[in-house]
Amino acid sequence: MEHLSYVKPLYAPFLCFTHHSFSLYSLSISISPHISTSIHNIFIFSYSYSPSTHPHFYMGPTPYNSSNSSSSACSSSTKPPPPQPPDQMDHLLAGAGYKVRSNDLTQVAERLEHLETVMVKSSPVDISDIGNDAVYYNPTDLASWVDSLLTELNPNVSGSGSGSGSGSGSGFVSGSGPAYVSDPVMNDMNNVYGEFGQQVVTPIEEDVSIRLVHVLMTCAEAVQRGDMSLAGLLIDDLQGLLGRVNSGCGIGKVGSFFVDALSRRVVNSPQNGVVQVDLSAYENEILYHHYYEACPYLKFAHFTANQAILEAFDGQDCVHVIDFNLMQGLQWPALIQALALRPGGPPLLRLTGIGPPSLDGRDSLREIGLKLAELARSVNVRFAFRGVAASRLDDVKPWMLQVSPKEAVAVNSIMQLHKLLGPGGPRGPPVDLVLDWIRDLNPRILMVVEQESNHNQPEFLDRFTESLYYYSTMFDSLDACTAQPEKTLAELYIQREICNVVCCEGSARVERHEPLVRWRERLTGAGFAPLHLGSNAFKQARMLLTLFSAEGYSVEENEGCLTLGWHSRPLIAASAWQAIPKPSVVTTGR
Amino acid sequence: MVHILENGEHFRADNREPEPEHEGFGSGFSINDHLDLLIEVLKRLDGRSLGAAACVCRQWCAIARNDSLWEHLCFRHVSPPPVGVRPVVSALGGYRRLYMVCVRPVLSRLKRRRLGGESEVVRRVWNQHEVELSLSLFCVEYYERLLVGGGRVAGDSPSSSLKFLCMPVNV
Repeated sequence: MEHLSYVKPLYAPFLCFTHHSFSLYSLSISISPHISTSIHNIFIFSYSYSPSTHPHFYMGPTPYNSSNSSSSACSSSTKPPPPQPPDQMDHLLAGAGYKVRSNDLTQVAERLEHLETVMVKSSPVDISDIGNDAVYYNPTDLASWVDSLLTELNPNVSGSGSGSGSGSGSGFVSGSGPAYVSDPVMNDMNNVYGEFGQQVVTPIEEDVSIRLVHVLMTCAEAVQRGDMSLAGLLIDDLQGLLGRVNSGCGIGKVGSFFVDALSRRVVNSPQNGVVQVDLSAYENEILYHHYYEACPYLKFAHFTANQAILEAFDGQDCVHVIDFNLMQGLQWPALIQALALRPGGPPLLRLTGIGPPSLDGRDSLREIGLKLAELARSVNVRFAFRGVAASRLDDVKPWMLQVSPKEAVAVNSIMQLHKLLGPGGPRGPPVDLVLDWIRDLNPRILMVVEQESNHNQPEFLDRFTESLYYYSTMFDSLDACTAQPEKTLAELYIQREICNVVCCEGSARVERHEPLVRWRERLTGAGFAPLHLGSNAFKQARMLLTLFSAEGYSVEENEGCLTLGWHSRPLIAASAWQAIPKPSVVTTGR
Repeated sequence: MVHILENGEHFRADNREPEPEHEGFGSGFSINDHLDLLIEVLKRLDGRSLGAAACVCRQWCAIARNDSLWEHLCFRHVSPPPVGVRPVVSALGGYRRLYMVCVRPVLSRLKRRRLGGESEVVRRVWNQHEVELSLSLFCVEYYERLLVGGGRVAGDSPSSSLKFLCMPVNV
């Protein structure tokens, strides 16, 4: 089955016999409470059998990226297998010529690993006995073949027992995963809470989860190659698998979003037109608002940005904040209140909010401005608001912002700059132009908060893999939120991001996230110097997170920038920058 | 007749006869004649007791709803006491609302993190950051009510942005 060869194992010890070119990737299942780490710990069990004339010798681990080299050893078959019910022969392996029952997969894998360890430990004399005969046993029936070999090599090993699960499964667990707790009683799809207070997946469901990820990767690879017919068949496979896994949480939920995105991409090719329907500004605001409430990422962004802006405005009497995406202005009440209470009294605060033009006649920017003005009036802060309607950030021209030279300027970009990384016009990518005019404004602080992930790689499969990992971590963290409808609408918000990363191309793909190191390079290259976010911001962020119910969030400091993550995987990064004045510009009256 | 125990935390009042005509209590002392004393006592209560005091009778209710008592409750353990906060807090809804909506859940959540699960809010010293954070959250909550209701300051339940404070902690 050709698609088997395109799966990327993270670690693949090869074991090869002389007369059969037989590549074996060992399957090591580690139960992890987090789907994200379980994806990383997945060793894909696949193999190929090519009766070639010359023997191949492979020993030892292969590095991560070299899976494609194994394709040379793989057989190819022309027709994809039909989906099979679970107790029948596994169809993926059947495509390669092996008959293994789906129920026995985990057990066979365990015994193969055991065989490997036995062979490694045995003396060469014992193994050569096996190697001398051309065909010892028919490897087609893999389960009995393994057992026969095991009894050959080690008469003490008992024959294959029937059975469910793998007991303690000590041969299963890879070194890095947490302990595998199996409960053969729980054969249904319910999750069991293990010793870490987190969810443990039952053996049956775990097979399906691993298969789901396997087929997702394979489908993405097919899409990258342009093989849409195979991708379509794999998507049918995926829908079937999704039906068997618990789609309320974990890999089932993330998987369903990715399957949906892949199917959209397969059905409507990105070149043909709109894959993702635009929501109205109002609907966008609703989703955004619920995302704000369900998880702390936006709150972290707002509070950290406000703290940095407050410190940058210390001692200034006339301050001007430019917000690249006003939405409902949820960030600004806290800044207004902090300015009201600052020692020495509040300054004159001007806020310029940039937002998409509203199509239904209501001037939402102005309404938000009025509400903020009302709040500022109640706390006695002199306040002026200006709204700039622009559908794209590079449509904004600096003169629209009306920055006066006497005031201190702060530019605030919460998850907006990555939208400018798309294909640019003749004068270069939009982000460089925008950074250039920001630098011309000479802001005291440019606050940049971005997703900490690389979803802008040129190869589709890399983007897909990275986003699968990233969004599964994010959904893990969202599981802690129990408030409905916030949680569902927040998931919808994230789903739109996923859809954009997976389905869209060219200028339609706006969610081009890049990690903090790339932004650092880009911003220093554009003439900005980093500002360290102080300990106040860090303490505030930590305190904010202790208020959220889930224990898994972590704030880390990274060379003056703060990142918020879930269980040590950073998901969102906040950094502050200061413009270095251009040497050639003659400054007047400053 | 009112029995006032030492720390003022438990009290019982029988106020159907405000006139000081009782037997067996000597001089016929009624706390309701000495409201300044009552206020001094109420100042030292914790939030729950203050709320219970407001349920005693109409007079006590009017006194207990006085915002300065709640201001004292919110910030009595902050050192140095925050200056200039009062007009801001009053504009955003008052100290009683600040306590109910922000201070109490924040304190109990922070305390539960440290001590791991007692149900009572014990008195503790705030630090400056906690005060600032509570005020910021309070301001965001006020703004959300503005967005939703066009300015009406109704009800004691917090708007949606602070729901996460009221959710049970998943420990």
